[in-house]
Amino acid sequence: MNDKRLPLTVIGGYLGAGKTTLINKLLTDPQGQRLMVLVNDFGAINIDAALLESADEDTLTLTNGCVCCTMGADLFMAIADVLDRNPRPDHLIIEASGVADPSKIAAAAKAEKDMQYGGIITVVDAENFPKLLDDPMIGAQIKTQTTCADLLLVSKTDSIPAALQAQLSTLSGAEQLLADQVQTVADLLITPWDRPVSAPFARPHPDYVHWSATAGPQFSRDGLRALLATRPPGLFRLKGFVCGDDGRGFLVQGVGSSVSLSRIDQPAQTSLVGIGLKGRVTKADCDQWWSTP
Amino acid sequence: MAYITVFKAKNIITMDPNRPEATHVAVRDGKILAVGGADCAAQWGEYVTDDSLAQSVLMPGFVEGHAHMMAGAMWQYAYAGFHDRTDPDGKLWTGMTTIDAVVTRLAEFAATLADGEPLVAWGFDPIFLPTERLNRRHLDQIAADRPVVVMFSSFHVMCVNSAALDMAGYDEDTEVEGVLTDGNGTPTGELQEMAAMFPVMHRVGFDFKKLSQEETSIWSYGKVANRVGVTTITDLFATIEGDALDTLLRVTADDKFPIRIVPTIGAMGATADQIAAQAKELALQSTDKLRLGGVKLMTDGSIQGWTARVKWPGYVGGQPNGIWNTAPDQIYELCEVMQREGIKMNIHTNGDEASEVVIDAIEAAMRKHPWTGARHVLQHAQMMGVDQFERAAELGICVNLFANHIWYFGDQHAALTIGEDRASRMDGCRSAADAGVHFTIHSDAPVTPLGPLFTAWCAVNRTTMSGRTLGEAQRLTLMEGLHAITLGAAYTMGLDSEIGSITAGKQADFAVLDEDPTAVDPAALKDVTVLGTVLGGRVHLL
Repeated sequence: MNDKRLPLTVIGGYLGAGKTTLINKLLTDPQGQRLMVLVNDFGAINIDAALLESADEDTLTLTNGCVCCTMGADLFMAIADVLDRNPRPDHLIIEASGVADPSKIAAAAKAEKDMQYGGIITVVDAENFPKLLDDPMIGAQIKTQTTCADLLLVSKTDSIPAALQAQLSTLSGAEQLLADQVQTVADLLITPWDRPVSAPFARPHPDYVHWSATAGPQFSRDGLRALLATRPPGLFRLKGFVCGDDGRGFLVQGVGSSVSLSRIDQPAQTSLVGIGLKGRVTKADCDQWWSTP
Repeated sequence: MAYITVFKAKNIITMDPNRPEATHVAVRDGKILAVGGADCAAQWGEYVTDDSLAQSVLMPGFVEGHAHMMAGAMWQYAYAGFHDRTDPDGKLWTGMTTIDAVVTRLAEFAATLADGEPLVAWGFDPIFLPTERLNRRHLDQIAADRPVVVMFSSFHVMCVNSAALDMAGYDEDTEVEGVLTDGNGTPTGELQEMAAMFPVMHRVGFDFKKLSQEETSIWSYGKVANRVGVTTITDLFATIEGDALDTLLRVTADDKFPIRIVPTIGAMGATADQIAAQAKELALQSTDKLRLGGVKLMTDGSIQGWTARVKWPGYVGGQPNGIWNTAPDQIYELCEVMQREGIKMNIHTNGDEASEVVIDAIEAAMRKHPWTGARHVLQHAQMMGVDQFERAAELGICVNLFANHIWYFGDQHAALTIGEDRASRMDGCRSAADAGVHFTIHSDAPVTPLGPLFTAWCAVNRTTMSGRTLGEAQRLTLMEGLHAITLGAAYTMGLDSEIGSITAGKQADFAVLDEDPTAVDPAALKDVTVLGTVLGGRVHLL
């Protein structure tokens, strides 16, 4: 699918949760993507010298095509600058400040027709999260960062403690991964995934479930919305064209808990693809859902 | 030897208790040489007497401790506000008290623009026009062939016409949070919050920050200040990137430029150490008329937006507590680094929980890195009570209270935000003065109009828009009000050795007035006419 809109992924989480560690890893191994990363400061960005093409006061240019910039005091002006770049990067990643509501940043990608929503990753520090959540000063903002996430990355632990897992589940239906599962993060949110199933994802672990559908009824907007609202929770991403009942079609795009519809010319046929983590969803779940009358 | 000019005035209010009033002030090398009668300079040598101000009253040039360069830059756009406002060239723009008036005025403005050029307006506040909601139909009457964008005074909401909606791609199929729609799903034109406004702002090239760095904007700022008697003014949360510093240096060095600017850079978007390094580097570039080296920290939001961090019992409408724009942990870190590096801080605090956290953070930093005389300033400090003022006094922390809020938003605060009790003591100048806190008062221009005499009037009378007196006990005397906008402000900025009073040795910076503000009814203080200023001995009459 030829979609020229710039995808935006926002990385949220409190100070010290591990946002920068994730960014370092993505910059070092961007999976062939030309990433543009806006960060609060360069303090902890740690790029191997061999990978560094040039560096100035507020921009690091990498030999792998990635660029890392400080966003300065005005985030939205920084986004405007990225949109004005020629050529545009393949993917924009923004590191939210430790107290920011990532959804307010990601909302720009939903509003701006030249951008597309590429999910919110919230990094959670396993040691401090429960305490922070109870903090009368900052707890409410920590909670907001968690509830808006499409992907929760848990840092500073080898396995997600059961109590934390339960606590996070009450706040958000988002997938929970360990912070070092960067490959999975990249597969789910960064690399183009809606290609023919033959090429990527040949890796043994973790596994993904791929689903596709090329048929279905013609939908009204409300009917399609209602059906999408009941999609299997493990169907992490969803994208494609759906025929409408009014002579026009829909472009459907789902990431985590978010799904957006926009109107397009009526497609020749409905064509949807989806991806989820193995063990969280099955093709049969998806088929059953899509064929719901 | 430089020659001496003796300015003759009808009266001179010096704000210096050693000689509270005088009729003549002698100036040499841009500084005050002597103050007194016609012969005050006699012992210094030959002099010439300048009678051009003989019918005027002089005061120390007014000092504004919290304003933004945007106050000048805004005037490149159309004004759409409820209150009367004067532009940098002295033209009075009467307030628009109905939507029809807004439409008529903006249509006139549109006629002055080139074909297709976007019409951008600012200052619209629906709080004062509660009958009907501004929508695209109103703005389509102004122009169909160009985007029309009306930015609300909160900067969180705008209303745009159909052409602007088209540019952004907003139509009946749009489902975007913040893009308001009518019952049929058609956008009304109202866009709420940055994300929804962004596609329009980006396409019409609406960038106040960039505009603020332009040469014409700096000149406009000078003119706006000059009109209201201001000779020294801050630009809090300045962006000084690229060649902005050179532009600032060039403009302020011009003899015709009538003000001293004190920019403080925003402490955001970089580490505390990087911000400190930038501030110190900038400090080295300071001149007489451009005083660099300070920083501005953000903490909470605004009271009228219910985003200020307030202590119990919170907001009267039961709204959740506000938000931190800088985490308390980061506030502690920033305070410690700035205190350690000897960098003066201006810290935005609206709610009383925010001011408490900041006082705690400064106290902790002071224990680690003693520095008496830092004169850090809590900006707005609107909800501080006596307890916090006492602590500020103990720690040598200054405050800059938002007196203009009493008039503009006092009624709203009593009814809708923090309730009667705390609204009655908000912006508590009397408590600050009694606790021995060094304080000043401000406009936060362009949030409210720049005008220190008006700001002093607010602190002296505490009258709201509905005409009530909000918190009689917190009123200042007239002389205290005048002190707050001169020497009081100069002290908080650490410039009281140079400005703030008409005292031998200080800069020859004067406000030129047509009558004696100490002789008018305090209720009429805001009506005293400003004729211009003198900066460094150079006269800048309007």
